[in-house]
Amino acid sequence: MRKGICGVTLALALLLSGCSALPYPREMGNMALLRTMGIDLEEEDVRVTVSTGTRARGLQSETEEAMALSAAASSLSGAVTALRGMSDSFVFFGYVDQLLVGESLAKAGLTRTLDFFARDDELSLGAQMWVVRGDAGSATASGNGEGPDQRLETIQRDGEMGAAVLSRSAGEVFADVQDLGSAFVPALRLNEESGALTPAGYAVFRGDRLAGYLEGEAARGLEMLEGHAPEGVLEEAVGSQPQSVRVVWTGNRVSYGDGGMDLNLRAWAQLMEYGSSLTEGERAALARETERRLTGQVQAALSQLRSWGADCTGLGRRAALRTPERLERTGEGWAEEFSRMTIRVRVRTELQE
Amino acid sequence: MKDLEGPHPRKEPRFPVPLSLEAVEQVLGDCADFSQRTVFLHGDPGRTATVCFLAGMARTERLNDYVLRPLAQDPLLSSLPMDQIFGQLEKGALYAQSVERVTEMDPAILGLVGGGCLLFLPDQKDCLLIPVETEEKRSVGEPENEPALKGARDSFVESIRTNTSLVRRRLRAPELKIREHIVGRQSLTGVDVLWLEGIADQETAARVEQRLDAIDIDGVEAAGNLEEYLVEGNWSPFPRLPFTQRPDRFCQGLLEGRVGILADGIPLGWLVPGTIDQFFRTGQDRAYHWMVASALSLVRYFCAVVTLLLPGLYIAVVTFHPEAIPARLALSIAAAKQEVPFSTIFEVLIMLLSFEVIQEAGLRLPGPIGATVSILGGLVVGNAAVEAHIVSPAVLIAVAIAGVAGYTMPSQDFGNALRLWRFALAILASVGGLTALSLGCALLISHLAGLETFGVPYLAPFTVGVQVRRGHPTLFRLPLPRMKWRDGAARTANRRNQR
Repeated sequence: MRKGICGVTLALALLLSGCSALPYPREMGNMALLRTMGIDLEEEDVRVTVSTGTRARGLQSETEEAMALSAAASSLSGAVTALRGMSDSFVFFGYVDQLLVGESLAKAGLTRTLDFFARDDELSLGAQMWVVRGDAGSATASGNGEGPDQRLETIQRDGEMGAAVLSRSAGEVFADVQDLGSAFVPALRLNEESGALTPAGYAVFRGDRLAGYLEGEAARGLEMLEGHAPEGVLEEAVGSQPQSVRVVWTGNRVSYGDGGMDLNLRAWAQLMEYGSSLTEGERAALARETERRLTGQVQAALSQLRSWGADCTGLGRRAALRTPERLERTGEGWAEEFSRMTIRVRVRTELQE
Repeated sequence: MKDLEGPHPRKEPRFPVPLSLEAVEQVLGDCADFSQRTVFLHGDPGRTATVCFLAGMARTERLNDYVLRPLAQDPLLSSLPMDQIFGQLEKGALYAQSVERVTEMDPAILGLVGGGCLLFLPDQKDCLLIPVETEEKRSVGEPENEPALKGARDSFVESIRTNTSLVRRRLRAPELKIREHIVGRQSLTGVDVLWLEGIADQETAARVEQRLDAIDIDGVEAAGNLEEYLVEGNWSPFPRLPFTQRPDRFCQGLLEGRVGILADGIPLGWLVPGTIDQFFRTGQDRAYHWMVASALSLVRYFCAVVTLLLPGLYIAVVTFHPEAIPARLALSIAAAKQEVPFSTIFEVLIMLLSFEVIQEAGLRLPGPIGATVSILGGLVVGNAAVEAHIVSPAVLIAVAIAGVAGYTMPSQDFGNALRLWRFALAILASVGGLTALSLGCALLISHLAGLETFGVPYLAPFTVGVQVRRGHPTLFRLPLPRMKWRDGAARTANRRNQR
């Protein structure tokens, strides 16, 4: 009994001594659970727009429109604080898992934004990140009253399955900016008429600032450099009718050699639709044509990236893993060397019916 | 007040008077069931004998056939000198399995109460105690609390001799020792200690006997009368004496080197020392295939964690750390919580309390009504409460899962302890979220680590406290041919159980 009293007294003493910073209880029913955050730079202010999902508004009112709030301040933290007082519910940022960065902010630099995400108690670098080609605020408030969260989730999942642009988290981007000195982020464009967000290639950052966009063939090349199968289907005119080929898996090996860099890619492609079985000759021709297209895509991506001096897929680092003595050269000055050096691209394709 | 705090001396002997028929009449004469009959020995009116017995305790047929008939019909009894008659009766004139000559009041009275009859002759300072007790008792039935799908269907009953015979029939080895102790000043209940010599730890058996002898209470009317006196410290809700209704499981415990306890009037057998793993085992564990038994064992351990932590974890995560919930689940919970007027903490605690109330009501009522109450309380009221937005469905699900998970505990006592701690952890979680919940879990582990039964740590299966290798895994069961060692925690004298 005496021990018990001592224990309780000790616990009370601990609580009174300042170790009583227990977490504060909040009711989920009174929370506005934010899913999407869009950040733009407006002249001297940072504008933050946030949106909830439709289901966050009550069991009996699922069709109620998503709540969108917007506030501007001279800093991101100021804008976020301003948002807290704008709703009749407790605005909770713990579920912000979709970060849209406006073009204006992307050009000015990402570091402060990502650093804020890293430090904030509720926000997290686990949020998926996109660059909006235009205004992130409009994209955040889009979705015709339903919010953009569902659409963004679909794009993310499609990307994971190879059916859309690759998805990237804020943490991955921040790590690349810090580690590689460059990064790529999937880009979106808001269709003004339909109000829908659509993938629009990749935004490439040199340092933390937007260098440009990779689109079309170059975007597919970037996906292969990253070790993913490129999105979409290749259509080749081989034999009597056009053939559709889809690359289902790629792998690459990068190494230094003969005054430059060797990039060897392997791709497994699948015939998607064809009228009649191909002859051996036609198959070989189709494989060659596919290799030519894939080589072209990779070279298009490399050409753009080298022109910006942005090795955002870390080719230099990966090659240095095979030649450790070259590792130092991938630090300071690597961007310039990457732009100048010869890169030999070789693609081997295996075709499956 | 002084009387309340006074000593509690044992009166030895109970009846400090010389043995005589008059003294017996003085003690029991005013009892409605006390009877005596004076008979002429072989019809000789000059030679009488008086037989005393307690109606209901003595069996009439035995009394008539084994005692009264020989007294009335044996011609030798009318010819022998009076001082030789007891000797003749002792040596075979009576048809009883045993005849004991008693010279003191205490054994005479206690023998009478135990169902014997006393035979007095005039002018003799002693008497004969002849056992003619009735054997009215419940027949051996099925173990209702531990049903067997694949195994023996007999169960312990209230008669301790029936229970020891059930054990003897399974363990025919003469090394099985059974020693009786009388517990309870007024109940004088026989409590037997059983162990297998050469396998069980003699020291543990001696300690059990020592503790039984030290119990000085009025009576053993409930299991707690023994349990709470046999274990050290009663400040823990966790049971430390595993019990079973099944003789086969009891015998398995004896074979593992544990010491068994049987009490007259209580249809249970206890096995000591009790360690935490004993409360997760069922009688069927050795009957099922080892893979199935292992999977079920893991399920039971998992359910113990679920029933203990789920309500507290729900409160902590939903109220204090919502960011730990996956986004879609959080949205569902938030949507469901939107129109509920109560806080999550209040909801969970009230639901936990309601669950206990419904359970208690179901248990106290007769079977069919109890089932109706459970259905009404659980389904109808629960559903209505959700539809009326008094509680959110997520809370109902969390509490129901925790409750149902608790029913997987083979030991009701252990399940009850988990229920108590579940409340404590839920309250802690509502004070400080995961921080306080973690603190509560640390307290619980510390509490369990501090428990011992007969010198064996309660957590022995998961610790190295006894300094003896356990021999086989605790969480799951190996195939029986591979379980070659007895449980090290039981400190068995002989660890190998098979070739």
